[in-house]
Amino acid sequence: MNETSSLLTWVVFTPTIGGVLLLFFNRSDTIKRIALMFTIIPFLLSLYLFQPYFDGSAGAAGAGYGRVFFEQIVPWISTVGGFEVNYHVGIDGLSMPLVVLTTLITMLACLASWNFESWKAKRGLKGYMFLLLLLETGMLGVFVSLDFFLFYIFWEVMLLPMYFLIGVWGGPRKEYAAIKFFIFTLAGSVLMLVAMLAFYFYPPVADRTFNIIRLATDPALQALFNDPNTLFLGFKFSTIMFVLLFIGFAIKIPIFPFHTWLPDAHVEAPTPISMILAGVLLKMGGYGLFRFCYPILPEAAKYLAVFLGVLGVINIIYGALCAMAQDDFKKLVAYSSISHMGYVLLGMAAMTQAGFQGAMFQMIAHGISSPMCFFLVGVIYDRAHHREINRFGGLWLTMPVYGSLATLGFFASLGLPTLCGFIGEVYAIFGTFVSGPQALGAYAIPFGILAAAGAILTAGYILWMIQRVYLGKERPEYTGYSDASLREVVVLAPMGILAVALGIFPMQTLLKFVTGTLNNILSLSGV
Amino acid sequence: MDDPGFLQSCLLAGVLVPLFSFVYLAFRGSKLKLARREEDEHGGNDAHDAHHPTGPGQGEPIAGWVATAAIGISLILAIIVTYGWYGMGALQRADAAEHAARTAPLWTMVGSVPIHFGVKLDSLTVIMFLMVTLCSTCIHLFSIGYMKGDPRFARFFTFLSLFCFSMLGLVISASLLFLYIFWELVGVCSYFLIGFWFEKKSASDAGLKAFVVNRVGDFGFMIGMGLCFVYLQTLSLDDTAARFAAGAREAGWMSAPGEAFQMLGAQRAPELFTTQFLGISLATWMGIGLFCGAIGKSAQFPLQVWLPDAMEGPTPVSALIHAATMVAAGVYLVARVFALLTPGAQMFIAVIGCITLTMAALIALVQTDIKRVLAYSTLSQLGYMIFGLGVGAWIAALFHLMTHAFFKAVLFLGSGQVIIGCHHEQDMRRMGGLLRKMPVTGLTFLVAVLAISGAGIPWLGIGLGGYYSKDEILAVAYYRQHNWTAAATHDEHAALPTGGQIVLAGYAQHDQEGAAESQAPVLAGAGQSAAEGETDYVARYAAGEHGVGTLPWILFFLPIAIAYVTPFYMGRCFFLTFLGKPRDKHVHEHAHESPTMYVPLLILAFMTVISGSFLFRDYVADSAPTAAPLVAAINGHDHALHAAHAALPTLVGFAFVVGLGLAWLIYRRGFDISEKIRVLPVIRQAHTVLWNKFYFDHVYNTVFRDGVRYVLAVICRLFDNWIIDGIVDNSARLTERISRFSGVVLDNMGVDGLVNLVGYIAWNLGGLFRSMQTGIVRNYILLAALAVAGLIISLWNVPVGVIVFVIAAGIIVIPWSRRPAVASERYR
Repeated sequence: MNETSSLLTWVVFTPTIGGVLLLFFNRSDTIKRIALMFTIIPFLLSLYLFQPYFDGSAGAAGAGYGRVFFEQIVPWISTVGGFEVNYHVGIDGLSMPLVVLTTLITMLACLASWNFESWKAKRGLKGYMFLLLLLETGMLGVFVSLDFFLFYIFWEVMLLPMYFLIGVWGGPRKEYAAIKFFIFTLAGSVLMLVAMLAFYFYPPVADRTFNIIRLATDPALQALFNDPNTLFLGFKFSTIMFVLLFIGFAIKIPIFPFHTWLPDAHVEAPTPISMILAGVLLKMGGYGLFRFCYPILPEAAKYLAVFLGVLGVINIIYGALCAMAQDDFKKLVAYSSISHMGYVLLGMAAMTQAGFQGAMFQMIAHGISSPMCFFLVGVIYDRAHHREINRFGGLWLTMPVYGSLATLGFFASLGLPTLCGFIGEVYAIFGTFVSGPQALGAYAIPFGILAAAGAILTAGYILWMIQRVYLGKERPEYTGYSDASLREVVVLAPMGILAVALGIFPMQTLLKFVTGTLNNILSLSGV
Repeated sequence: MDDPGFLQSCLLAGVLVPLFSFVYLAFRGSKLKLARREEDEHGGNDAHDAHHPTGPGQGEPIAGWVATAAIGISLILAIIVTYGWYGMGALQRADAAEHAARTAPLWTMVGSVPIHFGVKLDSLTVIMFLMVTLCSTCIHLFSIGYMKGDPRFARFFTFLSLFCFSMLGLVISASLLFLYIFWELVGVCSYFLIGFWFEKKSASDAGLKAFVVNRVGDFGFMIGMGLCFVYLQTLSLDDTAARFAAGAREAGWMSAPGEAFQMLGAQRAPELFTTQFLGISLATWMGIGLFCGAIGKSAQFPLQVWLPDAMEGPTPVSALIHAATMVAAGVYLVARVFALLTPGAQMFIAVIGCITLTMAALIALVQTDIKRVLAYSTLSQLGYMIFGLGVGAWIAALFHLMTHAFFKAVLFLGSGQVIIGCHHEQDMRRMGGLLRKMPVTGLTFLVAVLAISGAGIPWLGIGLGGYYSKDEILAVAYYRQHNWTAAATHDEHAALPTGGQIVLAGYAQHDQEGAAESQAPVLAGAGQSAAEGETDYVARYAAGEHGVGTLPWILFFLPIAIAYVTPFYMGRCFFLTFLGKPRDKHVHEHAHESPTMYVPLLILAFMTVISGSFLFRDYVADSAPTAAPLVAAINGHDHALHAAHAALPTLVGFAFVVGLGLAWLIYRRGFDISEKIRVLPVIRQAHTVLWNKFYFDHVYNTVFRDGVRYVLAVICRLFDNWIIDGIVDNSARLTERISRFSGVVLDNMGVDGLVNLVGYIAWNLGGLFRSMQTGIVRNYILLAALAVAGLIISLWNVPVGVIVFVIAAGIIVIPWSRRPAVASERYR
C-alpha cells in the first residue's frame, strides 16, 4: 500500500497522551475516567483497522504476507555507517487481530481496575493508571512495528511498566514475582538483540535493513540467512538465529522449561494486570515466532520442527497436569494458560495451513477466554480475599449470575465446541496430523494423538475445579456475598460474547482476516 | 412441498426452535412467573417433601411450558418432514438430499478442507428426528410434573432445551466435525443435568465422571477424525464414504468398480490401507477410533462406568438422555460411519458390543436400586445394538434403537412415577405391592417389560417392539455364524442384486507380499460374482487382516444366552416393585400417582406397542444400501436369513417366557427365596463380584482418577516447584553469590578499594599540595625550578623525569607536611 496513514500512530500513542494528561489531576474519579476514556479511544480507532478487510482491498482470504495496511514510514535514526532505523508501522493479518485484542483487553482491564481503592495497595492510583496506559502503548507498538529496531524498543518499553505494576501493586511475594518476570524477559530480549544485530550486520552493506518484511521477502537476504553455509560462531546461521529468537519468544509464550515466571507473576499481579498478562503479553511470543522465525528463517523452522513439536506437547500435557495439582485458583488458571499455549506452538511446528490457523486462532481464543477466567477469579477474590480452591464451594448457589458466567468462561477454556477454545484446539490437532515430511514427518500423528489426549486432562482439571468452587452445598461463610455487580458483568460480557462468536463463526470473526497471511508465510517457507 | 429445500428447511427450523427456547430461558427463565392463584392451585401437591421445598421454583411452571412448546413445534415439523419424506418417490428424495448437500453453507476451512454445515437428509435422519422429538416432547410434559417445586425449575428446562437443540443438531449433521460438535454439546448438557442437584457430592461426582469418561471416548473420535482429515481430505459423511471406497479399491482391498481416488481429490486415500501400525492398517484404526466415540457415549465396555452413576440426575433426564436419545447417539454414529469400517474394525465392534451386553445384564441381576437396574438394562440393550452393527445387522440395530427408545422411556418414566410416589425412594427393597396404588404406571411398566423381554408369538410374527428388533439382530448373528462364508458360495446369493440386501458377498484373494499376511479381504461386491473365491473361504478370510475370520461362536452364544437373562432381571424389577407385599409400610401408604404425569406414559406405551410393526424396517431401509463398501451389511430377507429366522424360535422364541417365569417364581414374594439361594457359596461369590460391578469403578478410581490427580499431577507440580523453579531460584541465588563475591572481594576490596585508594591518594595529595601552598615565594620558586628540571629530564626520558620530579617534590614537601593529616579523615 503506497498511501501512508497515521492511524496506527494515533492508536499506539493515544494511551500515552492519556497517561500524561492524567498526571495533572488528583481526584481519583477523574483519573479513572480519563484512563478509561484513553483506553476506549484506541479501541474504537482500532476497529477501523477492519476496514481494508471489508472493502475488499485485502482480497477474499485476507492479504498475503508483506501486504501491509495503514503503513507509515518516518526516518528516525540515521548514522553515517548506514545504520538506518525507521519509525515503520503497519498491520497485516498477523497483527491486526492482536491489535484489536490488545485495545479491547486493556479497556476491560481498565474497567476491572475500578475498585482500585479496595485493593491492599490502595495508594498511587495515578501511577498505576499511568503505567497501565504506557503498557498499552508498548504492547500496541510491539504488534504494529515493522522495523526490527522499533520492535525491540517497544518490547523493552512494555517490560518496565509491567515490572512496576506487578512489583508495586502486587500480592505478598510481589518483589520476587516482578524480578523473576523482569529477568526472564530481559534475558530473552538480550538474545533477541543479538539476533537483530546479526540480521542487520551479516548482509553486505547495501542490503542492510531492519525492515521485517524485507528480511523475509528479499530473495538475497533469504538466500543468505537460510544458506547452510552461512555460519555464526561456527554454527549454522539460520539455526542459531532461530534458537536465539525462539528462546526470547518462548520465554514470553511461555514454553517449558522457561515457564515458571508465569504462575508467580499471575498469582502476585492484581487482577487487571493478570488479564493483560494472559490476554496480550503471552501472545507476543507467538506473534514474534510468526513474525520473525517462520518468515525469515524457514529452513531452521523445518529443521527444528520436531523439537518445537515436542516442546508444544510437553506444554500441553505438563501444563494440564500442573494445573490439576494446584490449590490456588489463580495458579490453576495460570497453568491452564501454559497448557493452552502448547497448542499454539504445536500448531506452528506442524507448518501446515490448518496448524498455522489453529495456532493463530488459539492465540486469540486464549486471549479472550483466559482474561475472562482471571477476572472471574478476581471477582471472587475481591469478596473472599483468598484463592484456595478447597475452601470454596457452592458459589453457584450464592452468586447465580456469576456462577453462570464462570461456567461459560471456564467451558470456553475447556474447549467446548461452539466456544472459542475448541476451534483453536481442533485446528491445531488436525494441522498436526497432516504435517508433512518436511516438518513433523513421522511424529505428526503421535503428536496429534498426544495433543488430543491433553483435552481429557483439560476437562479433568477444569471440571474438578468447577466442582470444588461452584458446585456443592452453599457454605455459610460465603452466604452474604453479593452477586456479580453491573461493572463486573460489563467486563465479562464482551469476552463471553466473543467467546461464543469466535466458536460459532470462526471464519467470519477471525480466520478470514488471517488465513491469507498465514498461507503466504507457509508458501514463503516452501512447505 | 415441491420445493426440494422444503424438508431441509423444516429440519433446520426444528433444530433451531429449542435453541431459541434455550436462549430465552437462559436469560429470562428464572424471572417467569404466574399469577398467584395458579400457584395456590398447584402448590402443596408434592411440596411436602424434603427434596422439594415448599413453593414453586424459579420460573415454574411457565419455563416448562416454554420449553415444551418449543420441542412441540419441533415435533410438528418432524411430523411434516416424515409425512413429506415418505410421500416422495425415490427420485424426489434423491433430489431433496442432493439439494440439501448442495446448498450447505460453508462454515469454515480447515487448511484447504472445507467444512460445510449441511443437513444430512435421508430416511435415517427423518426417523431419528421424529423419534427424538416425540420422546422429548413426552418427557418434557412429564418433567413439568416431576420437577414441580424444584427451586431451579427454570434451569432444568433451560438445559433440557439446549439438549434438544444439540441432539437434533447431531441427528441432522452431514459432517463428522458437526457431529462431533453436537456430540460434545449433548455431553455437556448431560453433565449439567446429571449434576442438576449439585448440592449432592454424588451428583456432581457423577456429572464429572460422565464428562471425563466421554472425553476419553471423544479422544478416540478425534483421532479417527484426524486420520479421516489426513487421508480422505474431507469430513463430510458422503465424501468420506466415497473416498474411502476409492482408496480401498486402489489398495486392492476391493475389486468393485468405481471412481478413482484421484478423481475424488483424495490423493492419500490408498495410504490408509497400505500403511500399518502394530500390524493393523490405518483404515482399521480409523474405524476403531471413530467407534471409540461411540464407546464413550453409548457407555460400552470399557467406558461403561459412567452411565449407572448418571442415574443421579432427575429421572426424566435419565429417561431422555441416558436411555432414549443421547446414549443411542453412539449407535447412530457407528451407523453413520458404517461405510468407513473395515472387517477388522467391524469385528472389534462386535466384540465390544458382546462384552457390554453380557456384563451389563449380569450386573443388572443383583441391583436393588430401580433406576440402576434400568441403567444396566440400557447398557445391555446398547450392547445389543452395537453388537448388531458389528455383525452387520445395520437395519436391525437401528430398529432396536427406535423400539428401545420408546420402551426404555416408558420404563424410566414409570420408575420416575414410582420414585416420586414413594417420596424419592429408589430402593426396591423398600417397595413392593405398588400395582394397586399405581395401576397405570404398573401396567405401562409391564408392557415395557414385555417389550424389552422380546415378548411375542414366534410363529405368528406378532410381538411388541423388542421382539422384532432383538430377534433380527440375533438372526443376523446366527446367519453370520453359519453363513458368514457360505452365503457367498451360493451362486444365487452372490448374484443377488444387492439393492440394500446383501452388500458383502465374499472375499477374493489378493496377493500383497506373498507371505502369511499376504491376503487381504477383498470385496467382490454388488452384483459381481464371487465365483473365483468359491472354495476355502474360511481359511482365506481368517488369513486376512489380523486373523479376523468367522464370527467366533461365543459372539453368537452370549447374545442368545443374555436374551434369557434380560426377561429375568426385568421381571425381577417389575415383581419386586409392583407385586408382593409392601416391604415398607411408610413408603407404601403414601404412594400415589400424579395424573399429570401419566399422559406421556400412555403415549409412549402406545408407541412401544406399535413400534414393533414391521413397517419401520422399510422406513430406514433406503438409507442402508450405501452403508458398506468393505464390510457386511445384512439387511434383507434373503433366503438364508429367512432360514436363520426360522431357526430362531427354537432358540430364543420363548426366552421371555422362561426368563419372566423364573423371575416370577423367585421374586414374586420379594427377596425371601433369593436370600435362600444366596446361601450357596458360588452364588454368594458371584453376587459379590456383580454387586461390585466387576470392580471397574474401584480400579478406575484408584488408578486413573486418583492416580492422575494425586500422583501424576502432584509429581508434575513438585517437579515444577522444586526442579525447574529450583534451578531458576538457585541460579538466581548463585548469581547473587557471585555478585556478592564480586561485590565484597572484587568490588569492595578490589574495585572499590582501588577507587578508595585513588580517592585517598587524591585527598592526601590535595592535603599535600595544600600544605605546599605556604605563601612562601621561595618555595614556589623552588617548586617551579624543580618542575622545569623534571620537564627537561622528561624530554630526554619520561619515566626518569617523572621519578626525579616526584622524589624532588617529596623531599621538598615532607618537611612541610607535619600538620595533622586532615585529608584521609575527611574522606572517610
